[in-house]
Amino acid sequence: MKIRIGILIAYLFLALVCLYNIMPFVWMVFTSFKTDKEAYAIPPTFWPQKPTLEAYIQVLLWTKFPRYFLNSTIISLGTALVSTFVGSLAGYGFSRFIFRGRATLIGLILATQMLPGVLLVGPYFKMLAKLGLYNTYPGLILAFTSITLPFSTWMLKGFIDTVPEELDQAALVDGCTRLGAYFKVILPVIAPGMVATVIFAFLLAWGDLLWVLVLTSGEDMATVTLGLSRLVTQFRIIWPQLMAGSVVGALPPVILYLFLQNYLVEGLTAGAVEK
Amino acid sequence: MNKRLLNLLLVVVMLAVWVPTALAAPPVQEKGQDYIVVADDWLSKLADKYLGNPFDYPAIVEYTNKKHAEDASYAKITNPDLIEVGWKIYIPSAEEAAAIAPAPPPAAVTLVFGDWHLTEPHWEKALKEAFEIFEAKHPNIHIELDYVSYADKETKYTTEIEAGVGPDVFHLHGYSLKSFIEKGYLYDITPFIEAEAGVYGGDFLTPWYPQTLELMQKDGRYYAMPGDFMSMVLFYNKNLFTEAGLDPTKPPTTWDEFVDYAKKLTRDRDGDGQTDTWGFGTVGAIDPGFELRFTPILFSHGGAYLTPDNKCAALNSAEAKEAFKFFVELVTVHGVVPPGVTAQNPGTVRQQMANEQIAMLLGSGWTPPIVDKNNPDLKAFEVLEAAPVPVKAGLKPEFSTTAWISAWMINRNTKHPKEAWELVKFITSKEMEQKWFDDANVLSSRRDVSGGLEAQGVKGYDKLLNDKFAKVIAAELAHAKFVPQLKEWPQIIEAVNAAAQEGFTGAKSPEKALEDAYNRINEILSVYRAAGETCPAF
Amino acid sequence: MRRPPPRFFVSHQELEGYAFVLPSLLMLFLILGFPMAIAVLNSFTPLWSEVKTFTLENYVKLARDDLFWNALLITFYFVGSTVLLHLVVGLAVAVALNAQIRAHQFLRVMAILPWTVPDVISGLIWRFMYNPTSGIINDLLHKTGITNAYIEWLAHPKLALPSVIFSDVWRGYPFVMIILLAGLQAIPREFYEAARVDGASPLQEFRYITIPLLQRMIIVAVALDTIWQFRRFGLVYNMTLGGPGHATEILSLYIYKQYFKYFNFEYASAMAVVLAIIMLVISLPYVRMMVRRV
Repeated sequence: MKIRIGILIAYLFLALVCLYNIMPFVWMVFTSFKTDKEAYAIPPTFWPQKPTLEAYIQVLLWTKFPRYFLNSTIISLGTALVSTFVGSLAGYGFSRFIFRGRATLIGLILATQMLPGVLLVGPYFKMLAKLGLYNTYPGLILAFTSITLPFSTWMLKGFIDTVPEELDQAALVDGCTRLGAYFKVILPVIAPGMVATVIFAFLLAWGDLLWVLVLTSGEDMATVTLGLSRLVTQFRIIWPQLMAGSVVGALPPVILYLFLQNYLVEGLTAGAVEK
Repeated sequence: MNKRLLNLLLVVVMLAVWVPTALAAPPVQEKGQDYIVVADDWLSKLADKYLGNPFDYPAIVEYTNKKHAEDASYAKITNPDLIEVGWKIYIPSAEEAAAIAPAPPPAAVTLVFGDWHLTEPHWEKALKEAFEIFEAKHPNIHIELDYVSYADKETKYTTEIEAGVGPDVFHLHGYSLKSFIEKGYLYDITPFIEAEAGVYGGDFLTPWYPQTLELMQKDGRYYAMPGDFMSMVLFYNKNLFTEAGLDPTKPPTTWDEFVDYAKKLTRDRDGDGQTDTWGFGTVGAIDPGFELRFTPILFSHGGAYLTPDNKCAALNSAEAKEAFKFFVELVTVHGVVPPGVTAQNPGTVRQQMANEQIAMLLGSGWTPPIVDKNNPDLKAFEVLEAAPVPVKAGLKPEFSTTAWISAWMINRNTKHPKEAWELVKFITSKEMEQKWFDDANVLSSRRDVSGGLEAQGVKGYDKLLNDKFAKVIAAELAHAKFVPQLKEWPQIIEAVNAAAQEGFTGAKSPEKALEDAYNRINEILSVYRAAGETCPAF
Repeated sequence: MRRPPPRFFVSHQELEGYAFVLPSLLMLFLILGFPMAIAVLNSFTPLWSEVKTFTLENYVKLARDDLFWNALLITFYFVGSTVLLHLVVGLAVAVALNAQIRAHQFLRVMAILPWTVPDVISGLIWRFMYNPTSGIINDLLHKTGITNAYIEWLAHPKLALPSVIFSDVWRGYPFVMIILLAGLQAIPREFYEAARVDGASPLQEFRYITIPLLQRMIIVAVALDTIWQFRRFGLVYNMTLGGPGHATEILSLYIYKQYFKYFNFEYASAMAVVLAIIMLVISLPYVRMMVRRV
């Protein structure tokens, strides 16, 4: 009986949490189908009275939103791949080898997460401008990689720790080099972990505003978040369009997550916790 | 990468078109001739047609001016970019033209142009049209657009210029102009200005309002050219006035009247028991737009932000205290402003106007078109009216409002200062400023557009002078004063902005909020005071 | 694993190790090292100066800047309460999801969803939900008869920060929840069954089994969350910009304003250095714990 009540409470609680979680999404989607006027109505309407695709048409056809979308995708995917690959190399190095300064280096890598972005963005821009990488995809991918890499390294190290060392040894005995062993044996085994870091880095790069704001110029390099914050201009705040843009902008991370959520959960946990 | 490819392609196409025509050597005239300018003529076009090379146009200028010296029926060309219909000019023969060393064809140049106006469709369209005209006149210059939002422009330009890059030409407003000049971000354009010819019996700068030119300088050097110049005025919805039983032809003239009106306008129009329309909408968010909405109230009460020497805040005067209290009490006591004022920025306030949720706001030339865009059903151009900012009853302050000013400037990092100047000169020319008014209802800092040179026999732009909004805005320029110009200004106004928020929300009493802002501003200004110099207590 | 004995030559094994971690280190220290060095140098340079001389004036100024202290206080308030709430809500949801209920897969997916949404978008959605006249939150309160007033969620000095925190909890607790749920699932059911045989109440089970076994996970989750919360910027930037007054002005926002709005680069750098030091000190135990385990 006691258990039953416990379960009942759990259901009730989860229903409430669900409401809390879903409400903003519902509000976003519903608003995106309203007219400007209806969005500003006092009192507000919940269901769109005259559902219209006007906001989506405006955002997708009359702004450069599709281009922003493409930019976000390229930059986020690039970041995800680079930081996952480099991170897995480092994770392997830290997991399998003992060398002097190892603990210090791990500490340092973790400590780079403490540097506030506002501190770095100005000087970083100067550096990119000198290298001619300003307003390019590589420039942004490098910047985001520096943010995601510490956690990716850490997560993947956790993953590799769970792989028995005998696997490497067997590969080495078969005549593989260390790098060969890493590619042939380790990578396939930690693939789920790599998927997790890919998602993680992708989400982070997709959601950033500050770096993109400073490191890009012009319409052709802007990303979804930047495009949205430009839609909130000084001049007109059109909620249906903003929400339509938000729906479109939130789709890739949400879809990516929905399809790969099992990996993400596993990966985040492996990175954080010893098995 | 694509963009670069596209540019290359463009150049190739241009060459492909130009080279054959040049090689085909159109029949150039063998004898010089007189020519009467018709519409759509410009010199490089004529040079191309008669001399076979658009870059030979200086020859036409030279010969025409030489003829003018002998025979006044020929026009005098002072500005090759500006020829007028009906002028008699002399087009020399190709041989004569060759005698004058022709200007070598200038190399192709790409100028990057940055402006927050590009993010708003009706402004973007106007600017793009202007640049088409410019590019036709300067075939060697290509303009690339750099979009930036209003809120992010300083962030972006600062980082870029610090790093040695950034757009060649860009647009800012008075708010951060001084900081940019002081930081040394801007190209000294004094030599360009000096090299230009005079107009209206004065020098090149004669057409501009002197007070706008003042803001463009530091130590007698010019770093920018004035752009928009508009006073802040009161806009009201005459339908809502009528509905509330007020006479729409009699806008409030004193602040007492204003409160009275605003209270009558604050109503429940749909009868559901909830107020849904308010008398007045204003900006309470931390936003650069706050300055333009609070300053008129401060000035029209006779107050000021700083002492004339900019060493201390002047918000401790009785006038300033009264103005601040009045502003805060519109929300806290009179309740004539919609809820959530501290989250309102100019965009949301205009949206409220468009949706008939407020009846009055402080705005300027940009207001009617944006409100109209927000809700075309309102018919903003018909329903809205403009009036001078009210003043405190019984007071006749010299200045009762403030003015919006924007400026065009050249990045110190530009590699093409000459071409950049051509662009600045073009975009601030009389023709373009008139076009800007046609497209955006924005008034110019040029007196030959917005009026003010009548004494010299120069009339303003007819369409502007007859516009029901522009008329009021132009007339009120006489009562408009700029906010203090110093590089710390953004920080100072934000202190006042935050104080207003504290007052609106009741976190502090108006007096206490203003006192804290007063002390903070004095702290910021301490760098300008000698040791031992102090400011009076609040 | 044990510490390698002190030697003066570098073994082959060590070289291989260095080779694997080198790309990562190079990227991090080249990309972050240079900007950081510049920023630190900047912080010791006089304000608005062309000549780079050494000075401590920015740090002195900082100590006397009440807005800096205000921002620091708000940062601690913000980070402290969000991290705590992320933990409490995250733990509660994790425990509920771990109970044998139907559809827990679906519910878990729903629970994590907000975490995937970019800060800019979360900020926008919540800003509109909080809108006093056209937002859904006041409308719900009106419709249920709880109040008739237009509550100014983001405009009221006492409500603004809690409102921002409320939306940050929405965005942030799923991460903590994921980690704790994984930890919970790793606890063998037999432990609970044995406790039940001994007549332990659910509360006792929670206190004496769940918490001790989750401890490590909790520390990790809280540490990571703390670091990220200190860096949070986009959400507050989009919701309130620090207002009303300075009620929600967290330090990263104040630094941003000093740098990009007031152009006091040197002063902003000094503040950012202080923020970095604070974060380092706070997270030192976590970093040490992590390092000790490797």
